[in-house]
Amino acid sequence: MAFSTQCYREWRILVSDSWLKAMVFWLPVVLFFSMWLIFSAGIARDLPIGVVDLDHSRLSRGLVRYYDASPTLAVTNVYTSATEGSHALKNADIYALVVLPAQLEKDTLLGRAPEVTAFYNSQYILIGKLINSAMVQAQGTYTAGIDTLKNMADGSPVPLQALGQAVPIQSQITPLFNSNSHYGQFLVSAAIPAIWQILIVATTVLAISAEFRQKGISTWLANSPINHVIAKLLPYTMLFWLQGFIFLWAMYGVLEWPMHGSWFILSLSQLLMVMACQSMGAAFFLLTLNSTRAISLVAGFTAPAFAFMGVTFPATDMPFLAQLWRAMLPVSHYIEIQIQQVDYGASLADAIPNMIALACFGFVLLVAMMKAKKIATIYNGSVNPETKNAVSKHSDNKGTQA
Amino acid sequence: MSWRTLFKFELTAIFTNPSLLFTVFGGVLIYSFLYPLPYSQQLPREQTIAVVNLDNSQMSRELERMVDATPQVNIAKHVYSIEEAKSLLIKGDVHGLMVIPTHFYRDVLLGKSPTVAYAGDASYFLVYGTIVEGLATAGGTLGAKAKVSRMVMSGDNLVLASEQYSAMKLNMRPVFNPTMGYINYVVPAVFVLILHQTLMIAAGILGGGQNEYRLQGGTGYWLRYSAWKIVLVRTLLLMLIYIPLVAYYFGYSFSSYHISRLASISDLVAMTIPFLLAVIFVGIIIGQLIPRRELATLIILLSSLPLVFVAGFIWPVSAIPAPINALAQLVPSTPAINGFLRLNQMGASFEQVINWWGQLWLQALVYGCIAVFLVKRNQEQGSVKQVLSE
Repeated sequence: MAFSTQCYREWRILVSDSWLKAMVFWLPVVLFFSMWLIFSAGIARDLPIGVVDLDHSRLSRGLVRYYDASPTLAVTNVYTSATEGSHALKNADIYALVVLPAQLEKDTLLGRAPEVTAFYNSQYILIGKLINSAMVQAQGTYTAGIDTLKNMADGSPVPLQALGQAVPIQSQITPLFNSNSHYGQFLVSAAIPAIWQILIVATTVLAISAEFRQKGISTWLANSPINHVIAKLLPYTMLFWLQGFIFLWAMYGVLEWPMHGSWFILSLSQLLMVMACQSMGAAFFLLTLNSTRAISLVAGFTAPAFAFMGVTFPATDMPFLAQLWRAMLPVSHYIEIQIQQVDYGASLADAIPNMIALACFGFVLLVAMMKAKKIATIYNGSVNPETKNAVSKHSDNKGTQA
Repeated sequence: MSWRTLFKFELTAIFTNPSLLFTVFGGVLIYSFLYPLPYSQQLPREQTIAVVNLDNSQMSRELERMVDATPQVNIAKHVYSIEEAKSLLIKGDVHGLMVIPTHFYRDVLLGKSPTVAYAGDASYFLVYGTIVEGLATAGGTLGAKAKVSRMVMSGDNLVLASEQYSAMKLNMRPVFNPTMGYINYVVPAVFVLILHQTLMIAAGILGGGQNEYRLQGGTGYWLRYSAWKIVLVRTLLLMLIYIPLVAYYFGYSFSSYHISRLASISDLVAMTIPFLLAVIFVGIIIGQLIPRRELATLIILLSSLPLVFVAGFIWPVSAIPAPINALAQLVPSTPAINGFLRLNQMGASFEQVINWWGQLWLQALVYGCIAVFLVKRNQEQGSVKQVLSE
């Protein structure tokens, strides 16, 4: 059989199997789109907080207005007692509870520096951090205003000088490479490759197991097993590579998220990523020869990948064992290249170590190929037609026939 | 056709199914170690930054020392231009930078409030947040110090000045996870999801395998007993398997990772029962709808990441589009994660989570009915086929 006919045959199998079609064509679109939709707001705004105002003064009301004016915060609830507020905090109705003490205004005017206490929910760390910085900022601005006015009242006539006395050192904080701290750019651009990895590895298993169901794996591999495996994988390589290009284009072309790198390096590393994942998938199936067990392995392998990618929690702070597991996941190498390219606009030389790591997954494919060859030799070696039949049908239903 | 034989059939079906056993026992055990592994340090520390000190005065060097002394930041390089710092950032040698302007010391003394610039790599939010936190703490402390010394110079009492340098103070108190540890953040929610996914896969593989066999023309005990009996026995057995596993997660695992467990045992049990019921019923439904059992694992695997993100502990529910949020309410993981987090981590009372609890019971009820209906339908189809083939 010529190679092109083999590929064409693969295509026929693909379009006749509705689950394979789903995995290649519409499921990725649905998953990628819903990931984007979840984070489509991009920036968390108007997070509900509660206030207990024990002072009821002009100053305390001004402070509450300052909190409310912060784009991140929204004062949604006012409580009469801290107990009432803590009840709401425990139920996550509000993410923070601010307690303004009695005599806040009086103490401030007397220069006694009263203390405002804010309890914020740090169980939800990302939200908690947003609340924390927004509160510090709002409070800082309000206090600087009071200090400046006080200094002017004390006799420094120039507002700038009064401000300088109130805030001796100013700071300018810049989030580099993601200038508005957009969660979509941060999380979606990492979650999509993680889902992509699951799709590629699982589809590879499904594609080979489709062969298994049709006429048995051994008959399929009997003549020139290497050729057959390559012909099996190659059409999917192209389709998944195209998928990769489409999600990059959707993020950095259609949504116009900033992208500073080279499309060529990105595409090249995506190709390596697809092949690395396919190698893993092929090995999972050929080593177990049981589609259910292979998919279970795929699940165990790919499901926690997002935690190990090092995007949410830095890889440098992971213990050795976690770094080892991380190195075994293709997507963690790919995401490094993607971030380097998209955010830093790094050169090809910076991408090469990770590309080599992705290429190393070729060894896994080699193992899978050896196994394929072995299956073929066993099959061809068996003279007895009955054993031949037994090898080729290799029951997949042991567990359910009880 | 007695209950006893049905129990025996179901038990054999479960314990002779290697994929199911691998998912349930292997999955739950392995994940209880693997998933928290990357976060074992809890907090990112000593993130490397580069300093561009254009002032080189005594005060600017003091700021450097204060920055270096914070647990969050570690000064790895001193460079002489922002360009140089930028190239270090791109190479990944450092993750942030601090620029101290020329005449910094002079301007502080003159009361001109100079601006110190901090920047962090926001490609990694946690790294960025850590760096900014460290730099802002150090900068704020130096600012307060400068203010106090000026107050003392103009005749204020030192003790008073160190208390009154600011008109008002803000005391930010993190609650429920006071150390802001990452394990305490991720594990309580993700462990619920792991139980959810593995149990759903188990029920799905079991039913899916039988469904696959039926579609190939096979028959078995699951076609002979009435549907509700099969669903009932299967649910009971899977619950019996999962209750120790839930106890292992909420008991041993949580205490070994020092995660707080504020809920009483009875509250936890009350929440666990409808949770397990709803999950098993969804698993049975999936099993009846798929032609091959491995698809159960696949569908549930693909749903994991979206389910984590819609649960509301990473991204605020108010920012999630309403249709997505409505869909998420149909899956047991959403009310379960919310309920367990509130009970266990935030110390809410059971009355406060009663809505999540009710939602789980409602799901259990509806999905239970659908499960029985589907099993029954497939049984009828199976017997029709048998009659035809005979």
